[in-house]
Amino acid sequence: MSGVSLKNLYEEMLLLRRFDKLSMRLKMKDLIYSGYHPTEGQEAVAVGFCGALRDDDVLLSTHRPHIHAVAGGCTMEAVLTEMMGRTTGCSGGLGGGMQYVDPEHNFYCGSVVGSNLPIATGVAMAMKQQGSDRVCMCMFGDGASNTGSFHEALNLAAIWKLPVIFVCENNGFAEAMPVEEFVACKRISSRSRAYDLEEISIDGNDVEACRATADDLIERTRKGEGPFLVEAVTYRIRGHYVGDPEKTYRTKDEVAEKKQEEPLVRARERLLEQGTDAAELDALEGPIKERLDALSEWAVEQPFPTLEQAIDNVYIPLTEGEVACR
Amino acid sequence: MPVITFGEAIKQAYREEMQRDKNVFLMGEDVGRWGSLYRSSTGLLEEFGSEQIKDAPISEAAIAGCGVGSALMGMRPIVEFMYIDFISIAMDQIVNHAAKWHQLSNGKIKLPMVIKTQGGAGRRNSSQHSQSLENWFVNVPGLITVMPSTPYDVKGLLKSAIRNDNPVVFIEHKCLYFDKQEVPEEEYLIPLGKADVKRTGDNVTIIATSWMVSFALQAAETLADEGISCEVIDPRTLWPLDKETIIQSVKKTGLCLVVTEAPAEGGWSGEASSVVHEHCFSELKKPVKRHCSIRTGIPYGATLEREVIPGAESIAGAVRELTNAPSSSPLTP
Ligand SMILES: Cc1ncc(C[n+]2csc(CCOP(=O)(O)OP(=O)(O)O)c2C)c(N)n1
Repeated sequence: MSGVSLKNLYEEMLLLRRFDKLSMRLKMKDLIYSGYHPTEGQEAVAVGFCGALRDDDVLLSTHRPHIHAVAGGCTMEAVLTEMMGRTTGCSGGLGGGMQYVDPEHNFYCGSVVGSNLPIATGVAMAMKQQGSDRVCMCMFGDGASNTGSFHEALNLAAIWKLPVIFVCENNGFAEAMPVEEFVACKRISSRSRAYDLEEISIDGNDVEACRATADDLIERTRKGEGPFLVEAVTYRIRGHYVGDPEKTYRTKDEVAEKKQEEPLVRARERLLEQGTDAAELDALEGPIKERLDALSEWAVEQPFPTLEQAIDNVYIPLTEGEVACR
Repeated sequence: MPVITFGEAIKQAYREEMQRDKNVFLMGEDVGRWGSLYRSSTGLLEEFGSEQIKDAPISEAAIAGCGVGSALMGMRPIVEFMYIDFISIAMDQIVNHAAKWHQLSNGKIKLPMVIKTQGGAGRRNSSQHSQSLENWFVNVPGLITVMPSTPYDVKGLLKSAIRNDNPVVFIEHKCLYFDKQEVPEEEYLIPLGKADVKRTGDNVTIIATSWMVSFALQAAETLADEGISCEVIDPRTLWPLDKETIIQSVKKTGLCLVVTEAPAEGGWSGEASSVVHEHCFSELKKPVKRHCSIRTGIPYGATLEREVIPGAESIAGAVRELTNAPSSSPLTP
C-alpha cells in the first residue's frame, strides 16, 4: 500500500465522519438548504478509492458526494460552503449539496442518478486519445446500477478499453429500496460479465482492502488494462436523508448489527490488535474538532451569491456586451 | 365539505380510480413504501397491494417503457417520475413511442397512460431538481399536458387523465402538495382542455399556470386596492388549450399578461400570447406582455431562486406597467 499507514487512513476516515456530523448539524439548523445525504459508514470507500487518485486524475461523484470530494482533494471549505450556498463554495454556492464542479481539483458531481457513468466514459475516451496515463474514477450507488446509463457506459468503456474505474458503492439501499429486492443479481460485480470484464467485489468497510484494490486497479488502468468495475460492499448507517421514514424499509436491530462492522470500528480494532495505543487514537479527535469548529465558524460568515452572480454565465455571449442570460 | 391537501386529493383520485378499475396502477420510485416523495400515495400499497402500487428501480426509461407496453396490453398505467428533471431520461419512450403509436396504427392502438411528475422551484432544490419543462411536451403532437393548481382541480383533472385514452403528461408543482381547500366527497370530474376563471375582473386578463396562479391571485388582490381589476385565468390544460375562455376574457379587458415559471423564450407563454394576438388584435390596447422566469438555471440557496421566478409583487409590477400605473418591480424587463 503506497506507504500509507493504517493509522493515517483511520485519521482521514475520522475527519470525514466528523465532517459529515458537522454537516448534519448545519442541516438541522437550516444552514444547508437542499436534502442532505449522510455518509456515515461509507468512509472506507471514500478514503480508499478517492484518496488513491493522483491530482491530475478525474473523479466523478453523485448526490452523496461530499466525502468523495474531500477525499479526492477538494477543500473542506469549498465543499461545506457549497452545501451552505455561499460564494466560496465549489460552484460559487449556486449548485448546493449534490451538484457542483471543482475543475481545479478535477472533481464533478451531479444529482441525476446514473448520469455520471456516461460522462466518465467520455472523460476517459479523451484521456486515452490524448495519450496520457491519467485515469477517471466514477463513484455511484447500487441503485445507479439499474439505470440504462450504467449499462450503456460499461459497454462503451469495455469495447473501447477506456481508462476508467467504475466504483459501485453498494450501501444496501437506494432510498427505501433494499438492494436484494431491486437488483436482480446477488453481486453487482457480476454485471461485469456481460461486458467481459473481471468480477471484482470487495469488503467496502475494510479501508486497507479498499486502498489496496484502488492502488492496484489505478496502476493497471494507467498501463491500459482498463476499464474496471468494482463493487465495494458497505452499509448506509443513516437514512437516505436526515429524518427519512426508516421503519418503512429496515429495523433498528439491523442497523445496530451493521454498526458493529462499520469502517471506523473495524480499523480501530485492527490498530489495537497491532499494538497501537487506544489513547493515541483518541488523541486524534482533538485537532479534528478544532479544525472543524474553525471551519464552521468561518463558513457561516461567508457571503451568499447575489442575483447578478446567480444569473451570470448562463451562456457565453455571442457578441461582447450581450446580456448573458436573456 | 372536508378541507384536504393537494396531496390528499391526489390520493383520493388514485383510490377512487383504482377501486373502479383494476387495470389502473401506479408505478414509480418509492411510490409504495414511502408513498411517493410528497406522500401523495401513502397507505395505498397496504390498501391495493403490489399489483396496483409498484415500487420501481431507478430506471426511468424502463418505467416509461413499462407504461407504454402495459397500456398497449389494455392496462391503465400511471407512471410517476419523482422529479420532472429526470423525465429527460424517459423522453425517448414518451416522445417517440407513447406519442406516436396511436397515429402509426391508424388509430387502432390506444395508449391510456398518465405520465405523472412534479416540477418547479421553491424548495431550494437547485438547477437539476427545480425546472419547469412543460414546454417540451406542449410541442409534441400526441400528448396532452395538464398542470393543476389547486386541490379541487388536481383531483378532478387526475381522474379525467386516468380515464382518458391518450398519453397525458400531468405535472404537479412541488410547492402545492400541502395547500388546502374544500373538496367535495361525492365524485366529480374536471374535463381536460377546460380553463378556469379563478377571479373575474374588468381591466386586465392575467393568464397564469400552476404555482403562479396563487401569486397572480395575490397580485390581483393588491391591485384591486389600487383600483385595477384583474381577471385571473388558469388554463389547467396547456394543450389542448381552451382558447375560447381566454379570448372572451381579453375581448372584455383589452389587456393581457401571461405568467409562467418556465422562461418565456421558446415556451408555451409565447403560444398563449400568439392566440391572444391572433384572435383579439382589434380589442387589444397594447401588445400582450409576458412575465416569466429569468432565463437561467435555478440557483441554489435560501432566497435566490425566488428572485429569478415571478412572485406576487413582480406580477403586480408587470400589471401596473401594462396599465401605465407607477411600477416598482425589478424583474420586469
Ligand atoms: C435519475 C434519477 N432518478 C431518481 C433520483 C432520486 N434519487 C436520488 S438518490 C436516489 C437513490 C440512489 O441510490 P444509489 O444509487 O444506491 O445511491 P445511494 O443513495 O445509496 O448513495 C434516488 C432514487 C435521482 N436523483 N435521479
